[in-house]
Amino acid sequence: MGALIGATKGLAKLNGALLALGRWLGAFLLALMVAAILAQVWYRYVIGNALAWPDEAARFLMLWMTGLMAPTAFRRGGFVAIDMIQLLMPRALAAALQLLLLALSLLVLAMAFRIGLSELSGLGARFATSSLWYPSGLMPLEWAKVPRGWMMASFHVGVTLLLLVNVELLLRAVLGLVGRDGELPAIAQDATLAGAE
Amino acid sequence: MLSLFLPVFLVLLLLGFPVFFGLVFAPGILLWLNGQERDIVLLYRNVYNGMDSFPLMAIPFFMLAGELMNRGGITLRLVEFSQALMGHLRGGLAHVNVMSSMLFAGLSGSAVADVSALGSMLIPAMEKQGYSRRFAAAVTAASSVIGPIIPPSGIMIIYAYVMGESVAALFLAGIVPGILVGVGLMVMIALRADHWHLPQIGARASWGERGRASLKAFFPLMTPVIILGGILGGVFTPTEAAAIAVAYAILIGLFVMGSLKLSDLPDVLIRSGITSAVVLLLVGAAMAFKTVASLAHTPEMLAAFILSLSDNPLILLFLINVLLFIVGMFLDAGPAIIILGPILGPIFLELGVDPVHFAIIMAVNLTVGLATPPMGLVLFVTAAVSGLKVEEVVRGIAPMLVVHVAVIFLITYFPALCLTVPRLFGFVN
Repeated sequence: MGALIGATKGLAKLNGALLALGRWLGAFLLALMVAAILAQVWYRYVIGNALAWPDEAARFLMLWMTGLMAPTAFRRGGFVAIDMIQLLMPRALAAALQLLLLALSLLVLAMAFRIGLSELSGLGARFATSSLWYPSGLMPLEWAKVPRGWMMASFHVGVTLLLLVNVELLLRAVLGLVGRDGELPAIAQDATLAGAE
Repeated sequence: MLSLFLPVFLVLLLLGFPVFFGLVFAPGILLWLNGQERDIVLLYRNVYNGMDSFPLMAIPFFMLAGELMNRGGITLRLVEFSQALMGHLRGGLAHVNVMSSMLFAGLSGSAVADVSALGSMLIPAMEKQGYSRRFAAAVTAASSVIGPIIPPSGIMIIYAYVMGESVAALFLAGIVPGILVGVGLMVMIALRADHWHLPQIGARASWGERGRASLKAFFPLMTPVIILGGILGGVFTPTEAAAIAVAYAILIGLFVMGSLKLSDLPDVLIRSGITSAVVLLLVGAAMAFKTVASLAHTPEMLAAFILSLSDNPLILLFLINVLLFIVGMFLDAGPAIIILGPILGPIFLELGVDPVHFAIIMAVNLTVGLATPPMGLVLFVTAAVSGLKVEEVVRGIAPMLVVHVAVIFLITYFPALCLTVPRLFGFVN
């Protein structure tokens, strides 16, 4: 049991740090999304020259924001669910049901992780985005189109983070069943940039 | 076999499985049992492609704009403006509460934001003037549901995206129902003033005071004008209008009102980002769910069942309203729309109900569900803001729900109430 508590504490620390980084990046990406769309409006109406890239760039940023920030909501119990039946159940039964549901969500995420890996190494990921470019060489400066795989990776990163959170929640639920969850650090609920959870 | 995904999903949902996971697990497991493993990959792609959408971007932007307005102290200006107009009436602060919600709805589109912003300010103020805390909390909760009905509205954007409708048409169709809820609540407050022992405190504001309050509230009040005007004038798409609303909220918060600090921005961005991420994931999963629902012919099967109950659209609309009301008691409006829209929408379309009309019936009914027990999110937030028990808020709000139910039936049986405004702008034939 000591090893299980240790592993859960370690995973909680890892998730706390990763998700704090995710929140920081996600906030930055959201600000960039707004800037991209404002640039689109500005160039179309003020400069009179519609830009091609803001639409795709903002979608790129939104997908990454989602992948990086949704796991925080999952860890804090922010995924929408009806918990009324669990609240009416005896505590032990509710804990067992919660464990079962976490096992099912783990199954979903493990499957999504496997599919995501094959998608990222598949043909679809190698297609180029239509308007996004990156410097592929510096001497001399060369530009290449951003592959769609970079966009698709956002979902895979999100699934990976959700998977890590799911494992932590599962371990917490197991420890909760045997009454040892009090030895674990609580999950912070406030939305801050700070790394400490 | 595949048609079983709906009952499997509902059972898991009732047991407390998060909606996002349920939306992909139920069809996924049945595809797997059916030997259609390759289609599970399509399910994965549908979730991703469902999120990869330009119109959806309006959701994080409107959430961000609402958070910025809230943090920037705009709420206070709206309350002062409402006070100048209605503060002298018997039950003045109750009227101010409702009117502020109607004005706030034009900025944020979220019932929860309304309760947190207005409740924390008006519930203590009402209590100080002699209203019971239970009544103050109930008025705040009852009027907050106007938030997602009057545009801009997060759930309307979700519905429009999932069902392929026009965001502008739904925004316009929500205006009259939202005003009806507000006016209905004010009428009820006026009629029941004796029964509730409501005080009359304030003197009538002079026209000068009203003018000054209007000037102070001018910039916040311009937000819905910019949003709707931009969209309807063909200047912006809804997504661009939402980004403009963010920029506008930052500008007036930082430079005009000076109530927003740069140091507030990271926290505001994080809060909006986290909430939006959950909604975007849900919408992605809903698009996958919708595909499986079509493949399994679920709308057709449900249509056959519903039509076996009656072939009179009026009776069927009544039954659907009862179903939506019950669903709304247990599930938030957004997820409920995501789940039920693709299933129920096509059925009523076939029965000749206008898609915009049906969208508004669903949106208003499920939004009212936010303020109904046992799982109304607004009730929980109101309880937290007011310091009352949820049961007390429920007892307070119960008589006011009559207004909401009456509005639901009015808009159901008088479609012109929703459709006239979008028709005037050419969005509905």
